[in-house]
Amino acid sequence: MNEGGRYEIRIQGHLDGRWAAWFDGLSLTRESDGTTVIHGSVLDQAALHGLLGKVRDLGLPLIAVTQAEPKQMKGIQR
Amino acid sequence: MTRPLLETKFYVPRPRRRLIARPRLIERLNQGAESKLILISAPAGFGKTTLLAAWLAASPDGRRTAAWLSLEQSDNQPTSFWTYLIGALQTVAPGVGVGALSTLQSTQPPIEVVLASLLNDLSALSYEIVLVLDDYHVVDASDVHDGVVFLLDHLPPQLHLVITSRADPPLRLARLRARGELAEIRAGDLRFTPDEAATYFNEVMGLDLEAREIAVLESRTEGWIAALQLAALSMQGRRDVADFVAAFAGDDRYIVDYLVEEVLQRQPERIRGFLLQTSVLETLSAALCNAVTRQDDGKAMLEALERGNLFVVPLDDRRRWYRYHHLFRDVLRAHLIEERPDDVAELHRRASEWYEQNGERPEAIRHALAARDFGRAADLVELAWPALRRNRQEAMLRGWLAALPDELLRNRPVLSNAYAGVLLVSGELDGVDARLRDAERWLDASEAPRVQAAGIVVVDEEEFRRLPGSVALHRAGHALALGNLAETAKHARRALDHALEDDHLSRGGATAILGLAAWAIGDLETAHRTYAAGMAGVQRAGHISGLVGRAITLADIRIAQGRLCEALRTYEHALQLATEQDAGVLGATADMYVGMSELHCERNDLDAATQDLRKSHELGEQSGFPQNRYRWRVAMARILEARGDLDGALDLLHEAEPLYMSDLSPNVRPIAALKARVNVRQGRVGEAVGWAREQGLATDDDLSYLREFEHITLARLLLARGSVPEATQLLERLLRAADEGARNGSVIEILVLQALAYQMRGNNPAALVPLERALRLAEPEGYVRMFVDEGPPMAALLEAAAKRGIAAEYARQLLKAFGKAEDRSAANQVLIEPLSERELDVLRLLGTDLVGPEIASQLMVSLNTVRTHIKSIYTKLGVNNRRTAVRRAEELELLARSQSQ
Repeated sequence: MNEGGRYEIRIQGHLDGRWAAWFDGLSLTRESDGTTVIHGSVLDQAALHGLLGKVRDLGLPLIAVTQAEPKQMKGIQR
Repeated sequence: MTRPLLETKFYVPRPRRRLIARPRLIERLNQGAESKLILISAPAGFGKTTLLAAWLAASPDGRRTAAWLSLEQSDNQPTSFWTYLIGALQTVAPGVGVGALSTLQSTQPPIEVVLASLLNDLSALSYEIVLVLDDYHVVDASDVHDGVVFLLDHLPPQLHLVITSRADPPLRLARLRARGELAEIRAGDLRFTPDEAATYFNEVMGLDLEAREIAVLESRTEGWIAALQLAALSMQGRRDVADFVAAFAGDDRYIVDYLVEEVLQRQPERIRGFLLQTSVLETLSAALCNAVTRQDDGKAMLEALERGNLFVVPLDDRRRWYRYHHLFRDVLRAHLIEERPDDVAELHRRASEWYEQNGERPEAIRHALAARDFGRAADLVELAWPALRRNRQEAMLRGWLAALPDELLRNRPVLSNAYAGVLLVSGELDGVDARLRDAERWLDASEAPRVQAAGIVVVDEEEFRRLPGSVALHRAGHALALGNLAETAKHARRALDHALEDDHLSRGGATAILGLAAWAIGDLETAHRTYAAGMAGVQRAGHISGLVGRAITLADIRIAQGRLCEALRTYEHALQLATEQDAGVLGATADMYVGMSELHCERNDLDAATQDLRKSHELGEQSGFPQNRYRWRVAMARILEARGDLDGALDLLHEAEPLYMSDLSPNVRPIAALKARVNVRQGRVGEAVGWAREQGLATDDDLSYLREFEHITLARLLLARGSVPEATQLLERLLRAADEGARNGSVIEILVLQALAYQMRGNNPAALVPLERALRLAEPEGYVRMFVDEGPPMAALLEAAAKRGIAAEYARQLLKAFGKAEDRSAANQVLIEPLSERELDVLRLLGTDLVGPEIASQLMVSLNTVRTHIKSIYTKLGVNNRRTAVRRAEELELLARSQSQ
């Protein structure tokens, strides 16, 4: 339960690429709908909550947190 | 606490000069002051602090009496949090919380004890206080939240709490809301309305915006005040305001980022550079900024920034300390990391140096760690240890030590030893040995410090000289925690050998540990004397350590010595001190009551014994030391046994078993042996035999104090089985050992058994010899149950003794006590299966109006236990409801016995 994984955190507004370092080196993708997705590998739950705390402290409106399906797993029976 | 920065934590912010009047919100706060809690919950940049400052200054009858606490990350643990909270209250009510503070810094009491004392002080105030906890979102430790909930539950009318936070805190808000005890102001309330935005831009900031432009800005920022401020700053002095508004409206970027960049771009290079460099700081002063920027214009800069409203917030009245607004600072930092990544570490290092030179070690350490200059951080931690140890702030050290790489620690014996000490205090026994070995590598064969050793890094010379004694003390504590007695004594003695004359901490601690070790081998007089001396030494060093400090230990030793009067005095004295000095300083009061209960029970004052347990119970399960839950049940079992309810006693012992927690005192009465005794008394000899086999007990065992109780139990078992010669031999050997150790408590019991053994062989006159000695030893201490528990055979011997004038008075008193215990109603014998004492208790209460939970509370058991008893009662009486049960009980006159039990 405490495992990490690949997560996507979606926030309102576009975040400049310089903020990647702020978010522990995760990737930032600016979407055409005016949101930004912060995504990548997160070490564990504590790290995830740490990231959400940073989002909160910057006053970034939080839209969604989802666990990303690794692309290679698509179509494989679990 | 002498940190110079303390003032800034308690500083009540002054209202800003150019302010929008927000009467609607001020009115909300005025009304909210009637509630227990005002919660202002909104993200950063919504003007929470500004609003509060304005409200506090604008109160109708002059300033409200307000105390302020600005919380930081490091306050996220109980000791710091409550210490600072009390400190804040003391800025407006100096006498409040003095007792609570000393309790907090001495033992590790349950927080309710500390808060009870604080709440008492507050209730005595003749005026009201508003306490603001600012930035509560930095708290996420559940034990701190629990304490705040307790505070809110018991809040006296003199105290009003205001909490600001960026997230709703887990403080049972729903319950407070439902009771109308919570007033809230949220982001939706704090946003600037279009009117307020208009006033702000045109009147406060002197811009000349059109209504349409204001509407666009208001919409884009959604009234977020920080964003509006940045926008205003960006527009000041601009000719192309309309272009700015249009560009801003059409941009999707994170607002703060965009606006800060706009603001930064318009600053002269010097200011921009200053802002970026000083963004590494949590708080700023002119001197600190100069140290970091290597310029000398810090004072002028900060004043210019404040004048220009560039998001510096003053932290005191004398304009010494400031901080940046959080959002602004975060954006600056992001810019710094991007533009000048190589400078970041160096800037932190300069800050660290400045803080160290100015006597702020914790800040210096934090910056050193941020600079990843671990060598420097390690040096500073080593120097910080003694003071933190004295103030019981080991938790702070724990975090710092964990951040240092292992290879670094290996060359630093003082630090390795400190790490071991910190782990011991937090109960993390696993890592202790490795750290101690790291430290010991730097001691030579004679265990003196290897001062000339190559590669060693020592910063605190004095701690280095203390090292041999300190390491030995930690080893002794470690061995004791693991139950390894021989090692414990060995290391404690080494500690005393090596400790310096004036090192009261090591000497006192080692002495106390030797006391505990002496106890474990049965040398009780030494144990008492040594332990008491050790504790005195530790207190002289200014520590009142929670690990080894309990009056209950001294009382236990006295009981083992058969000195019940002294034991009782020890408890009473401790209780008196505890009430004088605000509970908690001498260890939990609940434990004292349980101890006294055992004494009262032995003296057959069962009412007093039960009352003691009730008092302990009322203080709450959590309020004693962790071991108290176990001890309480064992004491209660003893009372039940005295009242003849052997099944009930066994049930309680069974309940107690999993609750046993190894503390540092020896486990001289293992619960398995206690159960075996009850079994013997019930005649269930087979089970007792099983116990003896499991424990590997035999009559030809070597005797040791730790197993004395078990061996005496074995002797009882042998007598119950009729193996009198074997029992006699064992008892003789036990008596010799107990006499050698002057353990009169055991001596008396052994003599009683010897008397019974003679009686079983038909030699009553011979029985009177050990009995006489037992009576003479027992009479001055008031033993009763020691004899009465042995039943009719003992009664016969006592009569014989009385007739011969052997301790005649005492014997007659004891004989009187026999009458009560065996008084079972004749009718109870009529039932095929008689009701137990406990069941009779329940049945009695079934005849009243009390409902289940109330019955459980009255009898101090769980509701499930009551239900079990009721089922059994119904079965035995052949009924199936309450009313019939009570009626049947009356018919059988089951409840006609006296209520004196």
